[in-house]
Amino acid sequence: MSHHASPAMKLLAAPFLLMLAALVVWPLATVLIDSFSKGGVWSLGNYAEILTSAYYGQSFVNSLLISAVTTAIGVLFGFLIAVSLRYRSGGTRRIAMALANIGANLAGVPLAMALIFLLGLNGTLTIVLKASGLIGSFNVYSLTGLIIAYCYFQIALAVLLIIPVLDGIETELEEAASLIGVGTTRFWLRVGLPVVGRQMVAITTLLFANAMGTYATTLALTGTSVNVITIRISELVSGDVFSDPNLANAIAIALFLVLLVPIVVSQLLLKGDKR
Amino acid sequence: MTYLDLSAIGLRYGDNVILDGIDLSVEQGEMHVLLGPSGCGKTTLLRSIAGLVQPDRGAIHLAGRAIEMLHPKDRGIGMVFQHYALFPNMTVRQNLAFGLEQRRLVRKVIDEKIDAVLEIVSLQNKADARPRQLSGGQKQRVALARALVLEPSLLLLDEPLSALDAQIRKRLRDELKRIQRRTGLTSILVTHDQDEALSLGDRISVMNNGRITQTASGPEIFYRPADLFVAKFIGNANILTAAEFSRLIGRDFDQTAIIHPHVFKIGKASEGSNLFEVAATVVETVAAGNVVRYVMQANGIMFNVEAQSAMNEECLAAGTGTTLSINPSNGHFLKEN
Ligand SMILES: Nc1ncnc2c1ncn2[C@@H]1O[C@H](COP(=O)(O)OP(=O)(O)O)[C@@H](O)[C@H]1O
Ligand SMILES: [Mg+2]
Repeated sequence: MSHHASPAMKLLAAPFLLMLAALVVWPLATVLIDSFSKGGVWSLGNYAEILTSAYYGQSFVNSLLISAVTTAIGVLFGFLIAVSLRYRSGGTRRIAMALANIGANLAGVPLAMALIFLLGLNGTLTIVLKASGLIGSFNVYSLTGLIIAYCYFQIALAVLLIIPVLDGIETELEEAASLIGVGTTRFWLRVGLPVVGRQMVAITTLLFANAMGTYATTLALTGTSVNVITIRISELVSGDVFSDPNLANAIAIALFLVLLVPIVVSQLLLKGDKR
Repeated sequence: MTYLDLSAIGLRYGDNVILDGIDLSVEQGEMHVLLGPSGCGKTTLLRSIAGLVQPDRGAIHLAGRAIEMLHPKDRGIGMVFQHYALFPNMTVRQNLAFGLEQRRLVRKVIDEKIDAVLEIVSLQNKADARPRQLSGGQKQRVALARALVLEPSLLLLDEPLSALDAQIRKRLRDELKRIQRRTGLTSILVTHDQDEALSLGDRISVMNNGRITQTASGPEIFYRPADLFVAKFIGNANILTAAEFSRLIGRDFDQTAIIHPHVFKIGKASEGSNLFEVAATVVETVAAGNVVRYVMQANGIMFNVEAQSAMNEECLAAGTGTTLSINPSNGHFLKEN
């Protein structure tokens, strides 16, 4: 089913396209152009610096690691929670949706504070776990701490996005499966997941981008101590000591390219099994 | 002997009574039709039998076994849904194999069973198609095959034809009947369409408001409805109150008359018979193929009359006067309360 818009309809889209140009294309273009300027002259120097510097390389690796792990955890738990909510009444579902909504938007200082109260040096959970001998010590101001923090909004966002996707699977399908002796787990593995596969790929990509671009939570929890891209960019843009906005622009473009990879790959994947 | 026996099945959602003490017996090999208006509880009853909803009370016996507490998969019941409910990511063959694989049969047996069933529903050449490549009628035949391949003790069909367009519906209806005869599978089919019910059902149960009002053969339900609800729901019989019928025949009468349009005969009664004769006027004429439908009026009462048309015969024009004869033994009469 493809819809061909008439010229008049295309004209109606003009204001939207103009706005898109003003808000997306123009800033992106200036970032791109400025990224090729080093010390006032045109060069590839910024990119050379990113590629050769172990420091910036490390920031990419850390960001990728945190994003990959929290995306995997988010999608897995988000899917399981969304599936189990399917079997709950409307009331339970609404409450869970509200909580997920709060969770998905919980970021920055509030999330960091909550985590510090729980898992900080004198956090409630840290003390309980230490007393019970389960852990020796735990430092929340670390890469692991960031992963835990990101998981909050990643899981919540996944739940929020996956619930409506699962609504597209008719309950009659599940009933048909249960009548022919196929259990819940097998149903979701063999029918449920494959049916929503395309949307799940899209949601995974979105979660990954969400994690790569996270800044407020990172800054609030670990400041500049854990080396991730967004912190490096902000430091270069607004820092007093290291200020180098054009290098920041180059890193932003590199980040953009990195994000483009999963998007392009998922599009190719989906094209491959177009049904 | 009763094969499926439902006794006093009751179910309510909150304050709404959906099933109000349903008793039903179905014989082995029977095609039983549940007929009723939308919302009367047909689907809920079917789902109760399948175990997809749990009734509040009542007992269900299938082949002598109490099944009301069993999980759906252990009841030996196959079901065909209104909107097919095929697994969209699987081919026809995979759809049919899904349940068989669960039974840990060897591949060869699975394939043989699938081929045999595909032959029954005439879909041998669609084994590798996916549901979205099939027409509505084909999808429903796959759904039927998916239920048949597990050799259930009972087959439930919830409005299996209502999502199809008229032509396909009629074809699949005949095919459904043929398959049911061939497999001898005890079946319950739900519909709100009286034609479908009359042409498919060995027996029909008419449902209204969570109750079964009458269970009988098609002709019995058609000619001898147990109450006014059934009479109004089945066919397009003239339903005349005692007062109206008295006026029509000019004689005192104390029962509601159910008279099918084709029971009125145009023309005088033969000499010496005990038929009633009425002078009537044609109000409206619709010639529809092999039948002519008239609206007529006699003694201030309006009613429908149906006659066979003939190739070389004009039908009566509106405004024409005629004589009708009525044989009361071809009418059905209900006590007025
Ligand atoms: N899960 C449910 N919760 C509340 N009411 C329901 C539910 N399922 C069905 N009903 C109600 O039960 C009645 C009968 O429904 P149904 O069995 O689907 O009727 P039918 O199949 O005869 O059209 C309807 O009034 C419907 O609104
Ligand atoms: Mg229904």
